[in-house]
Amino acid sequence: MLIPYSMKNCFQLLYNLQVPAAGFKKTVKNGLIIHSISNDVYQNLAVEDWIHDQMNLEDKPILFFWRNSPSVVIGRHQNPWQECNLNLMREEGIKLARRKSGGGAVYHDMGNINLTFFTTKKNYDRMENLKLIVRALNAVQPQLDVQATKRFDLLLDGQFKISGTASKIGRTTAYHHCTLLCSTDGTFLSSLLKSPYQGIRSNATASIPSLVKNLLEKDPTLTCEILMNAVAKEYAAYHQTDNHIHLINPTDETLFPGINSKAKELQTWEWIYGKTPKFNINTSFNVLYEQSHLNIKVFIDIKNGRIEICNIEAPDHWLPLGILDKLNSSLVGSKFCPTETTMLTNILLRTCPQDHKLHSKWNILCEKIKGIM
Amino acid sequence: MQAVLCTLRAVLSPTTYCPSKPWLLGAGTIQKLRMGPALLLVHKFTEKHEWITTENGIGTVGISNFAQEALGDVVYCSLPEVGTKLNKQDEFGALESVKAASELYSPLSGEVTEINEALAENPGLVNKFVMKMVG
Repeated sequence: MLIPYSMKNCFQLLYNLQVPAAGFKKTVKNGLIIHSISNDVYQNLAVEDWIHDQMNLEDKPILFFWRNSPSVVIGRHQNPWQECNLNLMREEGIKLARRKSGGGAVYHDMGNINLTFFTTKKNYDRMENLKLIVRALNAVQPQLDVQATKRFDLLLDGQFKISGTASKIGRTTAYHHCTLLCSTDGTFLSSLLKSPYQGIRSNATASIPSLVKNLLEKDPTLTCEILMNAVAKEYAAYHQTDNHIHLINPTDETLFPGINSKAKELQTWEWIYGKTPKFNINTSFNVLYEQSHLNIKVFIDIKNGRIEICNIEAPDHWLPLGILDKLNSSLVGSKFCPTETTMLTNILLRTCPQDHKLHSKWNILCEKIKGIM
Repeated sequence: MQAVLCTLRAVLSPTTYCPSKPWLLGAGTIQKLRMGPALLLVHKFTEKHEWITTENGIGTVGISNFAQEALGDVVYCSLPEVGTKLNKQDEFGALESVKAASELYSPLSGEVTEINEALAENPGLVNKFVMKMVG
């Protein structure tokens, strides 16, 4: 069979050619363990997409280890405004990613291990995978009390969540991925995953907040390295395959043809924000201006991340009516995004009389509005 | 009322197909099967568990009882916009249930003419109304 040169180093081919150490025995189940050398959440999510879309996993399950630099990852059908503090994330330079599996919002940093179990749709079994992880943990620390719940969480000591699960099921393949908290910044996690945004009505899937704990807090020997090796060992034993973790580079196009465009797509505004299910904001805020309190009402409908209906109301005497109408109509169709709003409101301001008081009121109003984006 | 996902204006004209086993419609269904020389109402299951009923060039798509049972309680339906053009086998949306996003594949090539808006508010409807096969 002639293989095009570009495909010669392709991951699938390399996997097909891999000879199990025990030889071609029918009883030998195959399995491959890989670990990403990248800490970029988009590149790592792209690996998952690539394997899911491109690979034939018949008798060839894969376990993928990956860790990310600080990022918040939301589920496919979630609303980021509902799930996390986007303002704080922007200030701190925390990335936001939307994954293709279901489930809730999580915070990743280098103290968190992500594990993805790739199988055929037939062999998709989340509980089996979680039991494997528990066995691995107990192999390192037999005293550890870790249990899987019906919702596929892993609980430490019956109360602290150390792992959350999500999965994606395709035509012939499926993957189950989960987190594992070793030494994540718990305080930061809590503040990032707490949304400050009020008045959101949405049918997006909502996260269920849980008390979390790091395994390292429970037992200082449970580092990320130790845990990854323990799970790999257990996986290799279960699948009767080599206990060898292969390092992979998610930006290598010869290994994963087309992967870089997948990573790019995951970083687009259209995917991250634009995929948010339709939602509505109905809220109000108080503005302090020259020692008096004013109430601003906001009613916004957002679809595909863009403003469909915009109704910002302020007391008549405070701003000329005309200008609020202009603001409302110019925001329709624009992205629900502080950068785009800044641009639009600056343009509008230039059409207004050069009145210092008006400008100052306008800036106060716009800052408040951008604050809910 | 069936828990249909959407309707497609088919690119290909529907082929006449006589099921060898009669279909028994689940409780609450008002859909009728019309038989006759020009069999316009066609019902097919893909091996991926999406079903399609075609009538006069319009296909109605839903998921089978087997599929909805396997999924468990559906908490979210992601469906395409009206007007979206799909090729056969294209992924057109997903159903989410207990943290699993399960992809939906188009059984036909066509253009989406209507989506079941009720599923946005109440995704659990997918589990309630099904087509059942007897025989």
